[in-house]
Amino acid sequence: MTGVVLPELHDTVLENGLRVVVARRPGVPLAAARLAVRAGSSLDPGGAEGLAHLVAISARRGAGRRTGRSIDDLVESLGANLAGGADEDASVHGLSAPVEVLPRLLEVLAAVVARPTFPVAEFERLRRSERAELAHDADEPSTVADRAFLQAVYGAHPYGHPVEGRGADLSRIRRRDAVAFHARWFGPRAALLAVSGSVDPGRTLDEARRLLGGWRSPPSPPPDPGPAVRSPRRVVVVDKPDATQVQIRIGGVAIPRRSPDYFPAIVGNGVLGGGFTSRLVESIRVNRGLTYGVRSRFGVGRVTGLFAISSFTKNESAGELVEVALEEMTRFAASGPTAEEVSRAAGYLAGLFPLSLETHDQWADRITDAWIYGYDVTDVRDYQDRIRAVTPAEAREVMARHLPVDDGVVLAVGPAAPLEKQFSRFGPVEVWPIRRVM
Amino acid sequence: MRTAALTVIDLAPVVAHVLGNGLRVRVLPDRLVPAVSCYTFFGVGSRNERPGITGISHLFEHMMFNGSERFGPKEFDRVLEAHGGASNAYTSNDVTAYHEDFPTEALEVVLELESDRMRALRITPEGLEQERGVVMEERRLRTENSHFGLLEEELESLVFRAHPYRWPVIGWMDDIARIGRDDCLAFFRTYYAPGNASIYVCGDVDPDDLLRRIEAAYGTIPAGPPVPPHVGGEPPQRGERRAVVRHPANAPAMLAGFRGPAARDPDTAVLDVLQACLSMGEGSRLRRRLVQETELAVSVGVGWNWRADPGVFMFSMELAPGASPRKAEAALWTEIDRVASRGVTEREMARARALLRSGVLHEMSTRNGIAHALGQAEALLGDWREAGQGLVRYRAVTREDVRRAARRWLDPTHRNVVWLEPGAAP
Repeated sequence: MTGVVLPELHDTVLENGLRVVVARRPGVPLAAARLAVRAGSSLDPGGAEGLAHLVAISARRGAGRRTGRSIDDLVESLGANLAGGADEDASVHGLSAPVEVLPRLLEVLAAVVARPTFPVAEFERLRRSERAELAHDADEPSTVADRAFLQAVYGAHPYGHPVEGRGADLSRIRRRDAVAFHARWFGPRAALLAVSGSVDPGRTLDEARRLLGGWRSPPSPPPDPGPAVRSPRRVVVVDKPDATQVQIRIGGVAIPRRSPDYFPAIVGNGVLGGGFTSRLVESIRVNRGLTYGVRSRFGVGRVTGLFAISSFTKNESAGELVEVALEEMTRFAASGPTAEEVSRAAGYLAGLFPLSLETHDQWADRITDAWIYGYDVTDVRDYQDRIRAVTPAEAREVMARHLPVDDGVVLAVGPAAPLEKQFSRFGPVEVWPIRRVM
Repeated sequence: MRTAALTVIDLAPVVAHVLGNGLRVRVLPDRLVPAVSCYTFFGVGSRNERPGITGISHLFEHMMFNGSERFGPKEFDRVLEAHGGASNAYTSNDVTAYHEDFPTEALEVVLELESDRMRALRITPEGLEQERGVVMEERRLRTENSHFGLLEEELESLVFRAHPYRWPVIGWMDDIARIGRDDCLAFFRTYYAPGNASIYVCGDVDPDDLLRRIEAAYGTIPAGPPVPPHVGGEPPQRGERRAVVRHPANAPAMLAGFRGPAARDPDTAVLDVLQACLSMGEGSRLRRRLVQETELAVSVGVGWNWRADPGVFMFSMELAPGASPRKAEAALWTEIDRVASRGVTEREMARARALLRSGVLHEMSTRNGIAHALGQAEALLGDWREAGQGLVRYRAVTREDVRRAARRWLDPTHRNVVWLEPGAAP
């Protein structure tokens, strides 16, 4: 059973170091492009966390000779979507457009990434609007939980702050910080252009050379952050007195995408907390009816990653849910999965994989991810085989090493007073006010 | 420039068939990748419910995964996942849809799983109690601890006085607690018979072979009684209606709505275009005015979800902390009034059409999207052939249509407004 049809891939490095990958493939008359730079929130300066994100979202508010408005008008009048964002490892601007207008819009994409002007009024407005949005985010328990979890797991590591920054940092950042960040890190040697769709590879490459061939790199490439360290068990309760349901996260520092443990880890995780038939779903949702959703995952980055169990339940049963989740994790680390479980998880992960590569956007994203995380995109051909090759013993051994059975973080967002009592059995409890996270 | 074909998908290869028991089957072969997407639509949603058992359609959707004659509890997903497939389901006001994505080899097992639960679902007291707990958590997640969840529940009750759209799809908490096993058994007999169901398959299949397999798997399921006619109807609205939700929050938010046309009404496509002009993209009217220029709001959106009966044209806004709700609302209605009196420009029309076209293309770029579009079109527009045909309709929409539709459907005296007022819950 093979499912992945590799598109015709044209992989070139321009003279200035820019990597260009064109995937020619049939399908609907749309095309997708990504222009990625390996400069993400892990490069945010202390005290200006959220800067990479602000740079990414403000870049399209003025670039080359165009104003933000004229970019909006051009892009949208052609039925396209252009959006930029940052994560820990990279800033990516993505374009999704009718294939016939792609050349006209590649020019805008190139300008937005290589020549943003950061008009002061637009930059200041976005900075205000990002701060205002934080007020609404602070009312979303799951958003608060995700932000707090990163902070608790990674601590002072560059992955340990929310990509969007906190209110205090956003109020300090100025336009000149954005200009400096862009000048210091953005350049062709740290960048990739990925294009996917029914396009002419030669013409697309010519276009890339014309638009970006003159782009120059700054003196030094963006450095990778160091590894993250595991820390003793902490219990964090973020106080949200009005909630009737507690958001829960359990996990710790785990593996980067290019770890040799990656495939055993995702198969092992498939058994523990992926899909609809995992052990966690079985014990927490099916047998006890404690939640609507529970899952675990390895969130993998370029230099490190985390393991996380996520769920939620009514206030009274939060302690019970955590207890069951910890028991399942401990049991898994001790005795591992059965052969039947591994085969089912592998069947599920391998069977669905081709459906993650159905659209032009998915291919453009996959090419970009492979470049950011350091694997070869043609590896997707072997993905299903590597999944199926994982043995129960490997899955157990890898999971035993990476599951935070005795360390890591147990985090809850909910009313602190009752939770502090319920959670003291899991370790020393710290109570955080929401503003520490937002 | 605008030479691209109007129809984005060739429906000529669709094979349509109706079994003796009334089950409708529509198949679109696409053999590029060895994978298949399958949807089963049942013509039942919250609009078929009554007070006292609101939420039963959705609770029942959960029960469909809890075991049938040949497959025990928990087996459905276990068997499917072991074969490399995945399933999910959703319930709306109008329909309940189940879908599976799977590699070609799993076709037979998917048909066994799906037909067995249509033929002989097992509804046990234990299964019901378990799903009741799960659904209550779902309600706490999506409604009680979500601002827009709370606002939407309030708005629908404001827009509709009589029609079943006035209660939430997930149901009221008391009803979720009350629904009994007998209610579920009656619901299954009434709404889950083959005559009230349709199957949509898109992917790596041979239609003749598939129809033979479907006949074998489903053909002997009894047709079941006719589905009782749905009782709708809604008295006219005689003036603006307003409500307040008081809840702890850092900043105010608003949801407003107008009763619109049913999906089959030609104005539905006109309202799609209006929605695109108002809120799709950075250059849309409302985004420019409320987020970029006045900075009164951090987000503004327009929702126009097609429904079988007249639905709701909805506006949402999250305010910047400190912004005046009165000013923000006035700015919103000023923009709407401007469209209703002067209409939109030809440039805005072209932009809207281009964005809507790309939206349809995105929808049609996966097997799952195509299978779903066929089902959605048949459920809401009465014919699967309408799938992807929005483009033809959008092209026919004129500026005058948009102005007229804004005047007709967004009349201030038919407004319904709900504000989230930050404060301790009463």
